[in-house]
Amino acid sequence: MTTPVLAPAVPHRADRRLDAAWLAGVCSGLAVHLNWPVLVLRVGFVLLSASMGVGVIVYLVLWLALPLAAESPRAPGLEAARRGGLRTVQGPSRVPADLGAMSAVVLLGTGLLWFAQSAGFGLPSAALWPALIGTTGLMLIWWQADHIPTRSMKGLTGMRRWFAPLIAHWSRIVRILLGLLGLGTAVGLIVVQLPEMSETSRTLLVLAIVVFTLLLAAAPWIIRVRRSLTAVREEKMLADARADMAAHLHDSVLQTLALIQRQASDPKAVSSLARRQERELRAWLYGETAETGTVKAALVTAAAEIEDDHGVDVEIVVVGDRDLDQELRSLVQAAREAMVNAARHAGVDKVDVYAELDEGTVEVFVRDRGAGFSLDEVPADRMGVRGSIVERLRRAGGSATIRSAPGEGTEVRLEMKR
Amino acid sequence: MTEQQNTQPEPQGAPAAWRVVIVDDHAMFRSGVKHDIGARVQVVGEGEDVPTAVAAVLKADPDVVLLDVHLPGGGGVEVLKQVHATEPEMKFLALSVSDAAEDVIGVIRAGARGYVTKSISADELVDAIGRVAEGDAVFSPRLAGFVLDAFSGSIDVAAVDEELDRLSQREREVMRLIARGYAYKEIARELFISIKTVETHVSSVLRKLQLSNRHQLTRWATDRRLV
Repeated sequence: MTTPVLAPAVPHRADRRLDAAWLAGVCSGLAVHLNWPVLVLRVGFVLLSASMGVGVIVYLVLWLALPLAAESPRAPGLEAARRGGLRTVQGPSRVPADLGAMSAVVLLGTGLLWFAQSAGFGLPSAALWPALIGTTGLMLIWWQADHIPTRSMKGLTGMRRWFAPLIAHWSRIVRILLGLLGLGTAVGLIVVQLPEMSETSRTLLVLAIVVFTLLLAAAPWIIRVRRSLTAVREEKMLADARADMAAHLHDSVLQTLALIQRQASDPKAVSSLARRQERELRAWLYGETAETGTVKAALVTAAAEIEDDHGVDVEIVVVGDRDLDQELRSLVQAAREAMVNAARHAGVDKVDVYAELDEGTVEVFVRDRGAGFSLDEVPADRMGVRGSIVERLRRAGGSATIRSAPGEGTEVRLEMKR
Repeated sequence: MTEQQNTQPEPQGAPAAWRVVIVDDHAMFRSGVKHDIGARVQVVGEGEDVPTAVAAVLKADPDVVLLDVHLPGGGGVEVLKQVHATEPEMKFLALSVSDAAEDVIGVIRAGARGYVTKSISADELVDAIGRVAEGDAVFSPRLAGFVLDAFSGSIDVAAVDEELDRLSQREREVMRLIARGYAYKEIARELFISIKTVETHVSSVLRKLQLSNRHQLTRWATDRRLV
């Protein structure tokens, strides 16, 4: 049984991360996407801003263009437990902003702005103030749009539905009003400075500016509505996939129950059936989305097969992961052989497997607390240990160490440098 | 698990009948656990959701609370919060059918002193209750694996000055042995240290797990939507 992989419907793209944001999370989102240090991006935007405010404009465009980081889909069991109130989920914790770096960047920005203005290649001073005030107002409003939760709006009707998020806290109204005031001031300053023209065209121009400003201020909400339509469609597709999956699983549970009834006289078969079913259900309900073609996936599959074939519990813990290649395939094979040996000869019902993969080494430990054996007494014709574990691994460029003594259990340690 | 049976800690000679409250929303599971361990511990209360659990714990004042992670009313984390608000010393052992990292780390960060899965054998459960009651921590191999995962990666030593933010060499060795399936006694023998020292190391890892603001832990947790 493979855990269903609920792939996101869209390929990976940049998004904004509010949990590490100073402002709108554009830089922190881009940093994750490009795998650059976030401070470099922040300083870059500040530098760009000094040349006629290009950085600010790019930032604002990205603010609108990049969606907020979406929550990755959880395993259905967890999702159901959350909806049923069986567990509390805190949102992702905010990474506290580094005040030192923040003030440094702000100072740099202010200094650059001042320098650009006084050196004469900044914005003309007539445009500077409206630009500053207007941008600040716009950011205040947009910032609000990011921080008003959509979830709490569900379940309300009529007018309340529209205003509930706003009147949830007085500071929201104040901030939005301040933002609008800023925008209004900016528009006023621009209008006052308009060159001479006929009354009609002047009125039309003012009207156009006001409408444009209002559209700009409302942009996050307009975009949000559009995105939520897409999201609803994707959710529907996911829900369908899950319903199919649930039906399939229910079928398999029914099958298992029927088999258990028929084989009720054979305790070993019953417990093996129950174990397999438990593993399937658990993997589906609470499992992480399984990858295929990695060492972890291969080890977990091997452990599951041995649980089924030999009727033992294999407790498997894997730290780190990497893609399988020819040598690592041999390592997994050797680990599997070690598990089979433990299941077959140790005479216990539990085998512990621990694998650790980091940059330099891959290590796998297979351990049982069973009968154990003396290494010298293994007859030369018993191929199990020597042939399939030690030799196989040596050919692949790794090494195997076996520690065992009669009555002490056995531990096989497989190691490979990568 | 014959070995573990023999090594059950029985301080001062007498088997300490720990007073335990069982919290789980399935009555069948509660009675199953009671049947399994009732002879060796004293079950002094039960709870089936957050309010009844909090009431039962505060009323019975047990040594250990066996706490299900998924519970109507906000989950085990909520019980931990509410009880610790009045009884900050109450000891919890989390018990769950879910192995999701999110749940394991979440309930430990909320203050539980250990985490075991519901498939645990009765002997191991009694053993774990004893450890938690004595103020030690109980790490399953899986939890140890999560800890190693969370604290692993190339640690930039210069950037890490907080003692809380990384595992010492010894703590890492202990975690690896737990993940490999070693019992505390076996770890002590392997590393040539006393069982008490092993317990100290595990408790110290638990403290780090609960208190650390380590950037990488936060990052790891956020990636998996934890904390």
